[in-house]
Amino acid sequence: MSTASPTATGGAGSQPGSGAPGSRPHGPVAGRISLAEIVHRYGADDPVIDGLALNIEPGEFVCLVGPSGCGKTTLLKLVAGFEFPEGGQVVVDGSRVSRPAGDRAVVFQQPNLFPWLSVRGNVELGPKLSGVSKEDRRMVSDHLLEMVGLADAADKKPWELSGGMQQRCAIARALATDPSIVLMDEPFGALDAITRERLQDELLEIWRQSRATVVFVTHGVEEALYLGTRVVVMGDRPGRILLDLPIGSYGAETGGEVRRSVRDSAAFLDLKRQVRDTIAGARKELS
Amino acid sequence: MTLSVKFDRLLDLMSSNSIKIDENFPERDAPVTLAAGATAGSQAFPSPQGSQRNDTALGAPGRKGPVKAPRWLKQLAVQLSAITVLIGIWWAVAAAEIWPPLLLPSPADVFHQLFVITGTHDGIRGYSGYFLQEHLWHSMSRLLQGAAWAVLLGVPIGILLAVVTPLRWIFGPAIDFLRNLPPLAYFSLLVIWFGIDETPKVALLFLAAFPPIVIATASAVRNVPVDRINAVRMLGANRFQTIVHVTVPSILPEVMTGIRVAIGIAFTTVVAAETINGIPGIGGMVSDAQRYNATDVVVLGIIVIGLCGLAIDGLIRLADRLLVPWRGH
Repeated sequence: MSTASPTATGGAGSQPGSGAPGSRPHGPVAGRISLAEIVHRYGADDPVIDGLALNIEPGEFVCLVGPSGCGKTTLLKLVAGFEFPEGGQVVVDGSRVSRPAGDRAVVFQQPNLFPWLSVRGNVELGPKLSGVSKEDRRMVSDHLLEMVGLADAADKKPWELSGGMQQRCAIARALATDPSIVLMDEPFGALDAITRERLQDELLEIWRQSRATVVFVTHGVEEALYLGTRVVVMGDRPGRILLDLPIGSYGAETGGEVRRSVRDSAAFLDLKRQVRDTIAGARKELS
Repeated sequence: MTLSVKFDRLLDLMSSNSIKIDENFPERDAPVTLAAGATAGSQAFPSPQGSQRNDTALGAPGRKGPVKAPRWLKQLAVQLSAITVLIGIWWAVAAAEIWPPLLLPSPADVFHQLFVITGTHDGIRGYSGYFLQEHLWHSMSRLLQGAAWAVLLGVPIGILLAVVTPLRWIFGPAIDFLRNLPPLAYFSLLVIWFGIDETPKVALLFLAAFPPIVIATASAVRNVPVDRINAVRMLGANRFQTIVHVTVPSILPEVMTGIRVAIGIAFTTVVAAETINGIPGIGGMVSDAQRYNATDVVVLGIIVIGLCGLAIDGLIRLADRLLVPWRGH
């Protein structure tokens, strides 16, 4: 994400992170993911994912929904480079994924912050590892902490924060390497409903500013429809794609008050039913 | 009611001496995190009265009655009185001369020895030519050397064994073997190899402290959550950066616990290490005094060794608090 782009932030910092990964130019070009004929299994069991193909364009907000055990998280791990498929290819921006890297940031279900570092230290670790100077790191973290609303908590330790604030910090940390792809694995799953809704809106705001590709795993159908520009419904045994629903942008593109009312619109409820029926239908087939 | 409050305090006191580092003690930060402290306390030691009544005893606002002394002060008072009573009984029994002073010296004799051994009297310098503090210093320096070697070698070797599986297959059982040996069993061998000077003593302390540190480190490395490793790899960290920035700080709590256990074991081995040519040394002093029937010196030595052990443990716990403030999070 162009965390350092002045246009995206309304001028917070003139040229932060010049020479940093923050300055890597990527418009709509970077952030393409292609998965082809993916087969993946754990041990000698039946494959978790079998013959899955999925292409994601730069700047899309793709939500993966499906029952637990359908391989959503596995898919995310394959793109992140934490695991490698038994068959098929994971290609990101033209090159095959061989290891995790800063261009593919991950936000986990648990915040997974480093407890020995301050909030700021957590955010700055990514740039630090790639050799960004202290001043530039500071500028990146100032900007990101402002963006996620943690500017006042910069010097606190992660365990002094609430769950929602920790997850905000995790998002800021993920954005600090200026990734073209952000992979999110049920990031709001452990939060209470009110905090979750607030963070959903904040995430959309961040995405609108940065235009990175987001792959968002959830088992909340409503969350998927609200956030995504495209909802991919997966079935289990083996993991495969049941429904690929380009919905444009129900929540994503619109701003402020409009978004809230979207949840209750008839079209939204229609889509929700469609997704639910797909999942239920696949369930019936299996049994 | 009051009785059960005191009992809680006793439990707190006992748990403060256990391996578990006491970050959730209600009285430490009572006004700030009262609720958290109270729940932690009541979970650890369920009391039939529940924890609400305890809240008021901890000095929560709204309690009735005059302002009471702080809890730690009460605890100290109880502890000091207990020690005084104990010394009083000892005094009475010794004064009754049920057993000869050779078996049970009186507290006065022992205290007198403290005075004698820490200075030069009638041209005699301390005990066997060394002051008590010199004996103590030599023992501590041996302990420090043995423990330092154990930490310096034990932590990297522990990491290596955790990371390189074949090494673990080869050396894991060897370290378990060493850990299960009583240090005295190999002390004779060390004397044969290294003579009777400093080397075998430091080597003995090293060998006693080494296995717990290796084992704690190796297990800690293997317990680092996969997601935490992944969290730094996705930031672009290479293998070396991952170890430096995440593995090492992640294992710190467990390694500190390992070091605490190791130094405890090494400390209990000091006296054994100094049974051969151990002067100067507190253990050497005790075993020498035993040979010459100076029971008061033996008792003094035991008290000093015990107090020293408590002090060392306290220091390690303090270091732990400073180094690992995130313990438990």
